Amino acid sequence: MPPPDDVSAPLEDVLNGEILRMYQEVADHPTSEFHFFHGREAAELFEYAPEWLDRAPAGALNSFAGVGNPHLRSELQPGETVVDLGSGAGLDAIIASWRVGPAGTVIGVDLNPAMCVKAQAHAAATGVRFECREGRMESIPVPDASTDVVISNGVINLSFRKRRVIEELYRVLKPGGRLSLTDIVSAKQLSQSIVNDPKLWAS
Amino acid sequence: MFGLLEAAGFTRVRSAVVPRFRFRKASTQASAEAYGVKAVMLTAKKPE
Repeated sequence: MPPPDDVSAPLEDVLNGEILRMYQEVADHPTSEFHFFHGREAAELFEYAPEWLDRAPAGALNSFAGVGNPHLRSELQPGETVVDLGSGAGLDAIIASWRVGPAGTVIGVDLNPAMCVKAQAHAAATGVRFECREGRMESIPVPDASTDVVISNGVINLSFRKRRVIEELYRVLKPGGRLSLTDIVSAKQLSQSIVNDPKLWAS
Repeated sequence: MFGLLEAAGFTRVRSAVVPRFRFRKASTQASAEAYGVKAVMLTAKKPE
C-alpha cells in the first residue's frame, strides 16, 4: 500500500520528529558512520565540482547528506530566485548562491530551525546572501509565483504527503519556472512495516 | 514522483537515475535493491 496523502497527523508528527533527530545527528556528529554516504565523500560520488567543495565551509560540506547533484541540471542563471527545499547544513544553497550571483536570491526551507541557523552561519562565512526559513515542505513559506527555480536533494521522499509537496512546488514557481530535484524513489510498494516505522521512513 | 509532477501540471518532466548512488551498508543496499529503491534526478517546468 502506498503511503497515504491523508495520513493521520500523529504519525506524521512522529515521522517529522525522527527526521529532525536523524539529520541533526548528521550535523552534530559528521564523523559518525551512517547507512548513507555523507560529507565530501558523498559530494564527490555525485560529481560536485571540486572547486565548489574546496570553497565550501567545512561545516556545510561535512554535514552534506544528499542523494545526488541537483546542480547538474538546474541551469541556474545570474539574478534568479532559487528555493532550496530541505536546505540542511546549506551546501546546495551556498553553491546556488554562487551561481545566481549577488543579483540573485536563494531561500532555504528546513523543518529544523537549528539547521537553518547553521546554514545561515555557513553561508555568511562565504559572504553570500542566503535566508533560511523554518517550514514544512507541505506548506512552503514562500509566496505564490515568486521563484525561478526550486532545487531539492533527497528530501521529498521523506514526506507522507508527496502530492501536496508537488502542488506546493507548482504554487511557488513563476510561470516558466523550473525544478531540479534529486530524490529516492521505489519501484515497488513499501511494506506496511516500513511505512509504519518512522526510523526506516526517515532513512 | 514522475506521475505526480505531470498530474500537478508540470511539463517537460524528465528523469534519470543517479548512477553512483548507493547505501554505505551492504545490508541496507540489499534491502533497497529488493524494493527497487534508487536515486533519480528529476527536472520539470511550470508552463508559461
